[in-house]
Parts: sequence; C-alpha cells; structure tokens
Amino acid sequence: MPYSDLLKDHLANPRNAGTLADADADAEQSNPVCGDRLRLSLRLRAGRIEAARFLAYGCPPTLACGSALAGMLEGLTLEEAARITRDSIARAAGGLPPRKTHAAALAAETLHAALRQCDASS
Amino acid sequence: MLRVYFDHSATTPADPRVVEAMLPYLTGKFGNPSSVHFYGQEARAAVDGARREVAALVGARPNEIVFLSGGTEANNLAIRGVCEQHAEHGRHVITTSIEHSSVRGICDSLGRRDWEVTRLPVYGEGVVRVEDVRAALRPDTVLVTVMLANNEVGTVQPVAEIGALVRERRAAGQKIWLHTDAVQAAGGMRVDVDALACDLLSLSAHKLYAPKGVGALYVRRGTRLAPQNVGGHQERERRGGTEAVPLVVAFGEAARLTRLELDARAEHVRRLRERFEAGVESRVSDIVYNGDRARRLPGVSNISFRYVEGEGLLINLDMQGVAVSTGSACSSGSLEPSPVIRALGRDDELARGSIRFSLGKDTTEEEVDYVLEVLPRAVENLRRLSPLYQHQFKVTSSKLQVEDRTS
Repeated sequence: MPYSDLLKDHLANPRNAGTLADADADAEQSNPVCGDRLRLSLRLRAGRIEAARFLAYGCPPTLACGSALAGMLEGLTLEEAARITRDSIARAAGGLPPRKTHAAALAAETLHAALRQCDASS
Repeated sequence: MLRVYFDHSATTPADPRVVEAMLPYLTGKFGNPSSVHFYGQEARAAVDGARREVAALVGARPNEIVFLSGGTEANNLAIRGVCEQHAEHGRHVITTSIEHSSVRGICDSLGRRDWEVTRLPVYGEGVVRVEDVRAALRPDTVLVTVMLANNEVGTVQPVAEIGALVRERRAAGQKIWLHTDAVQAAGGMRVDVDALACDLLSLSAHKLYAPKGVGALYVRRGTRLAPQNVGGHQERERRGGTEAVPLVVAFGEAARLTRLELDARAEHVRRLRERFEAGVESRVSDIVYNGDRARRLPGVSNISFRYVEGEGLLINLDMQGVAVSTGSACSSGSLEPSPVIRALGRDDELARGSIRFSLGKDTTEEEVDYVLEVLPRAVENLRRLSPLYQHQFKVTSSKLQVEDRTS
C-alpha cells in the first residue's frame, strides 16, 4: 500500500493530537465495519474554532485524516468549517489510495457531528 | 539511518555464495537441459546436482523432487494434482484454518467444484490437534494438507503424527495422501520426509537465501499426480516447461548451505529472539504473543500491541528503518483481520494490532537493540493517539457515574 510522504508525516508527527478539557464539542464516530474510530474536540471563541484536537484508532489513512482535519480547523468560523468536505480532508492528508477513502468519510462525519454539538450549544 | 530487515518470513536476501554459484548459468552455461549437445548436457548436470542437494535437505531421493516456480505452484501441483488424479476415490479434503493463502485459495476453489473441505481449528495456541484430524477422516478423504510451520505465527504443526494416521488408513486400503507446506519450516527446522511420513512437501527457495522464482515439490515415489503444466516432458512429465537453470542451481546451493548451517542459524535467531522478546516485555505494556511460544520456528515472534493498529505501527517503524509485517488489512472500510490471528480466537482489535518480527541468519544484536529502541516509542506514540487507549482509563469512571445515578 503506497502512501504519500505527507500522509506518512501526519502519522509520524500528528498535528493537534489529544483532547481538550474545556471543549465546547467532543464528538466520536466509528466505522462499525472496520472498527476505525475518530474523536474530535473543539473549543470556540467569538464564533471561531480556537482549538481543535483529535484522537484516532485505525489504519494509517484514518490517523492521517484526523491529523489533517484537526490541523485545518483552528481559526475557522463554524460556517467555514461546515464547508470542509471529505475531498479536502483527503487532500490535506496527502491523498488517499482508492480503497482507503472511507477514512476521509469518517473524518467528515466526525467533524459534522462536532459542529452539530456547537450549533446545539450556541 | 540504520535499516533493519525483520521480515525474513516474507523473503530472504540471496546469499552471495548462492549468487556466485548461479552466475555462470546466466552467461556462458546457458544451455537447455533437454538438449543433447554439450551445452544442454552441461545444464542438465547442473540441474541434476541441484536436485540432489534439494533432495538431501529433506531426506528424499533426487527423482522425487520436481522443480517449479515457487511455493504457490508447489501447493497447486500437490493439492490439485492429487485431487484431480484421485477424484474417483472420494472428494473430501482435510486442511486447517491457518494455511498459507495459496493453500486456502486452492481449497476454496475445490470447495466450489463439488469437493468437501474440512478446515480444522487451531485453538488459542495456533496448533492443530491430531485427534481433530482423526475425527475428521472419512472413507472418502483423499487428501490431508497441513502446513509444517505457519507463516504468520511460526507454530509447528504435528505433521508426523498426522502422517502416522494417514499411513494407518492407507494400510487399511484407503486411497489417501498427506501434503505438507514446508515453505516456512525448511529454513528454521530439520525437515525429513520419512520422519514426517508425508507424500508431498512444498518448498520455496527464496525463504532459504536464494532468489525468487523457484521452488520444489517433493513427490513420494508411487504418488500419482495430474500435472498442472502440460505440454512438456520435463520433470518426468510432472511439470512441463524448460527448467529455470540459473534459479535451480541457486536453489541447489541454498539447500546445501541450509543443510550444513541450519543448526547454527536456528541457534543464532533463537538467541536473538530471546533478547528481542525480553526487551519488548520490559519496555512495552499490554502485549499479547500470538501462537504457542514453545512450538514456534526459532526466528519468528508475532506480537499484538493492544490499542494500536498494525499497519500504522508498521509504517512508523518503516520510517525509522525497521521492516516488519502485519496481518492487518483494511480496505474500502471492510476489515480483513488476519484469518490466522482470528483463528487463534483473538478479537478484531488484537488481530489488527498483530506484528510479525522475523529474524534471519545475518541479523545482529545491534539490530535487535535498535528495534528495541524504536519500537516502544512508536507504540507509545500511536497509543497516545488512540481513543481506545484513552477509553481504558475512562471505563471505571463511567461505571462509577452509572452507579451514582442508580444509587
């Protein structure tokens, strides 16, 4: 399975890994088929995402998509974050092999679950 | 960056002595062994010499060795060859749930063609039980195929005892044969076809420090097979096609060296594996060994690291120069954890976290120590990322919350 250097770099040096103690949103989604799991914590300030952290279990693309997603979010408004697609996550993760696109889908799903929590609390 | 190859079960580097033996047959000694002239006879002599060496490695007679392209072809010729030849005596095959994918694939394809296949369990130890084989034997069983040593966890199967059972049946008049896939075993333990009482045995050269592209099937005298490659008279009509002379010569030399050096090689990797496993145990928590540790090939260590997935660990190690393999495979969102690790009764998470470390004759203590330096960090980094790892600390607190609410 050939992975890009960027994807491997996400794996070796994950961006924004962890959780937030004072998170405004904390969503965890899993792929029931393969068991891959992604958790995303967001903290808001003045309508923008001030901090984003992720945890992930699963194949390398799932880890890389979590890292890429968390790295993209900080500084965005909720509206801007809502426009992030699975394709843009896959690109930021360094591209995915054709059979691994489910990793970006899981990341997008987790993002939208977290944004729903933000909407509900605001 | 130091590069460490810990994947000798996948393939081995060609030994320089093997390459040296083979080179003349890529240049001046290019004849076709079927030709009557000098060139042909020179090649014929080389193939015959290699055949004697491969036979000697497994205690066979030279004319019982069929050269072919590798382990997968050997398994195909053995299983399909026996089944097609003897279908009139019955259409039942016994195998195990941990065979190499080639044997598994062949048995699956027989299963789709009016054959019944019994796949025996291997329990937590990764070893098939002789009494299960006995119970599975039927009057219409024509073939038992059980690997000698497993390719993922290295567990050695009781082939000699199964051979004795098959012999008993045959003595009672049943048409039944025993095949064993010894592709992994041959480089790690003494293999003797008479001690195993097997009729067919598969070998692959590139697991024995020879190049890829050549293997052999041992066929006990008197065992009839339907050839799978027809149209040539080579290999006593059992495998048509011009012999790959340079590769066959390489295999012969590799077999000779293996025969002479096996004990020293086995002792060497066993000692280094002990150092490796002791180091892992002292540096990494939450590990599970896969396969009966007392019944393994000496150079193989298969370990599941809880809370992490194998491929991520593999890539982390690869980026630091360490090459290993994992049974984990996930594609299109459908998980295919190693059928071998699953057969040991491990849950999906442990099956996904399994890593095979396989050491070789040229592995050094320094390499082991380098892996011991890199591996704990890689596991720790992935665990820090893993929600499963975080969850284990939260399980107790969430239980407490539930109790609080109910009280």
